[in-house]
Amino acid sequence: MPALDSLLSGLALERATGALRVGRLGTVFLSDGRVTYIECSASTRLEDVLTADGRVTENALRRAHKDGAASLVEQGLLTRAELQYCALISTMDAAFFLLPARSARPRFVPGERHWLGPQWYFEVAGLVRECGRRRAELERAWSSTELDNVPVVPVRRLPGDRVVLTSLQWELLVQADREATPLDLARRLGRPAYTVLLAVRQLAAAGLLVRVAPVAERPSLPRRIKTELPAEPAQPYEPTDLDVLLRLRKALEELA
Amino acid sequence: MAIPGAIDALVLDHNSGMAVAAGGSGTDPEYSAAALSETLRVMTDGIAQTSSGGTVRIEDMIVVSDRGYHLFRPLETRFDGPLVIYVHLDLERSNLALARHLLHSISSRLDM
Repeated sequence: MPALDSLLSGLALERATGALRVGRLGTVFLSDGRVTYIECSASTRLEDVLTADGRVTENALRRAHKDGAASLVEQGLLTRAELQYCALISTMDAAFFLLPARSARPRFVPGERHWLGPQWYFEVAGLVRECGRRRAELERAWSSTELDNVPVVPVRRLPGDRVVLTSLQWELLVQADREATPLDLARRLGRPAYTVLLAVRQLAAAGLLVRVAPVAERPSLPRRIKTELPAEPAQPYEPTDLDVLLRLRKALEELA
Repeated sequence: MAIPGAIDALVLDHNSGMAVAAGGSGTDPEYSAAALSETLRVMTDGIAQTSSGGTVRIEDMIVVSDRGYHLFRPLETRFDGPLVIYVHLDLERSNLALARHLLHSISSRLDM
């Protein structure tokens, strides 16, 4: 099955408009060949991001589903820049989880649109690069996936006297009820799943979260690597100069 | 560009380290955004650790290098964020006080 990004590049060349459905996992919306929005069941829904601070209500959202996203701006619930920013962070978040997907066979539905409408245009190559960078960043923060899908459980005692937290890390620790996974917390807070995942990895790296299997994962001492000594020196010595040896012996005999 | 002496400008999403908008002399915005986001994070951590108590809020961060002034301005947003405006100014051709003033008025016009 071709990778999702090569399918999208093909649709970009055809300047297609419509929705590329990837099973139940998510959908990529295109307008004139350009990606305008992505949704994914693994990432935080745009609706959860929009309603997070309480100013955009469920009712206003329902109206926006019918009349388009511009109605949110017209009602003064958010500015155009805020709407664009929400479209940007939600799409990048969904791309991170959807683009590597290989499980479902994608199906293109021409003409299908999302109620959000085009707020931002994404190039496929740019999306792929940004997802790669984000993956590397997660790896760099803490290279284990061990806590990505399990409940976030803060340690009862700090492994030191003091700690520095970002505002997002603080919110996560406050919200962590020992049952919610990072993605549950992301939905609850209306934050992108990726930024929550990154914050959780940073908290884990700082020793602030209870590990799932602390014994099994304990880093072992570097193993000694057994190397065979070469039978003969790789670099043979220079051939001995007999003349030098003879003169040396003569000099030694004269000394004695 | 509206700020005299500006060489590069970038808007970045601090939590993800992603470039949101870029303009100027053409350094790679994706690479720059990630690196600048890290710069701001480390600086904020450092200031937080040296503060005797309470929380730290960075209004502006100014770095003066041999290549110019580097201005960072974090913008609180209602959604995720913060966004950060970064401007790189020419050392000779710019006025730091004016640039800060303009940056503040630009950020208030962003409507975030």
